Amino acid sequence: MNPNDALMEKWEVQLRKGTLELAILAALQQRTLYGLELLKLLQSLPSTTITEGTLYPLMDRLKRDELVDAQWVQEGDSRPRKYYQLTALGAQKLTDLTQLWRQSVTDIEFLLANPGPQPLQMKGV
Amino acid sequence: MQQSALNNNDSIHRYLNDLRRYLARLAPHESQEVIREIESHLFDVIEQQEAAGNSADVVAILRGFGEPRQLAAQYIAHIEEGAPPPRGFKAIQSMKKSATATLYFAMAVFGFSTAMCLLFIAGAKFLLPESVGVWSTPHGNSIVVGFVSVPPMAMPEVMGWWIVPAAAILALAVALLTRKVLSVLKQHM
Repeated sequence: MNPNDALMEKWEVQLRKGTLELAILAALQQRTLYGLELLKLLQSLPSTTITEGTLYPLMDRLKRDELVDAQWVQEGDSRPRKYYQLTALGAQKLTDLTQLWRQSVTDIEFLLANPGPQPLQMKGV
Repeated sequence: MQQSALNNNDSIHRYLNDLRRYLARLAPHESQEVIREIESHLFDVIEQQEAAGNSADVVAILRGFGEPRQLAAQYIAHIEEGAPPPRGFKAIQSMKKSATATLYFAMAVFGFSTAMCLLFIAGAKFLLPESVGVWSTPHGNSIVVGFVSVPPMAMPEVMGWWIVPAAAILALAVALLTRKVLSVLKQHM
């Protein structure tokens, strides 16, 4: 592996770590999901792929922080599954994190869209 | 097919039992909840894989959860750490560290020098048998232990040559105890 690949991977891990909570809260927007569904959804997206061993303890932490609620539900013959949903606090946190996320994307897009050698551009100036 | 299902159940039960053991610091109902959710996940995945006509790869599924010990560590991390560290925590931490270091060296000096003194007493008995001993008044309300230049005349010596093995054994015990305490302190440094 060349050093650049290692750096890329490190950055990716950091980014994923930092955005994981937002990804989970976003996945639970106005719906309830059980662990396996949530895992498959996150694993279907390249930048939010996580393992079982990361997801479940994280859900436990979100529940302890009262950002999500969980109930055991049994449908028909299937085995009981633990469904997660956002609490009011979780929905509020999602709104806050979404705002930060969008701000960050806008800022970085601005920097990317204004390379040299043109004179420095300050936003809104 | 049946054999592999049995093996699957075996590895799952072993995994969950290990996990339960490592979750012992949680309240029983909390640990039960964790186990139940993971168990439900595992059997769901196996059923889905089998419904799709594949044989279930339990080893691969369990690999996603990681080693039971590491998985459990994430569930009990909040107990181990308590509240998130406040600002200035680093300073407290380093003060605590230096306090522990001071305690460590004080303990080492105190413990090993006590042991050395006891050994010295045991050895000195051979050189100056009259000056080394334990003297006590007949009713036991006053006692002199160790190495004196003039033996207290009014008090009979009570141990004689027994002081040699007694002091040597005590020295060994003090040295061992000191080592034990130091190794415990070391873990907190």
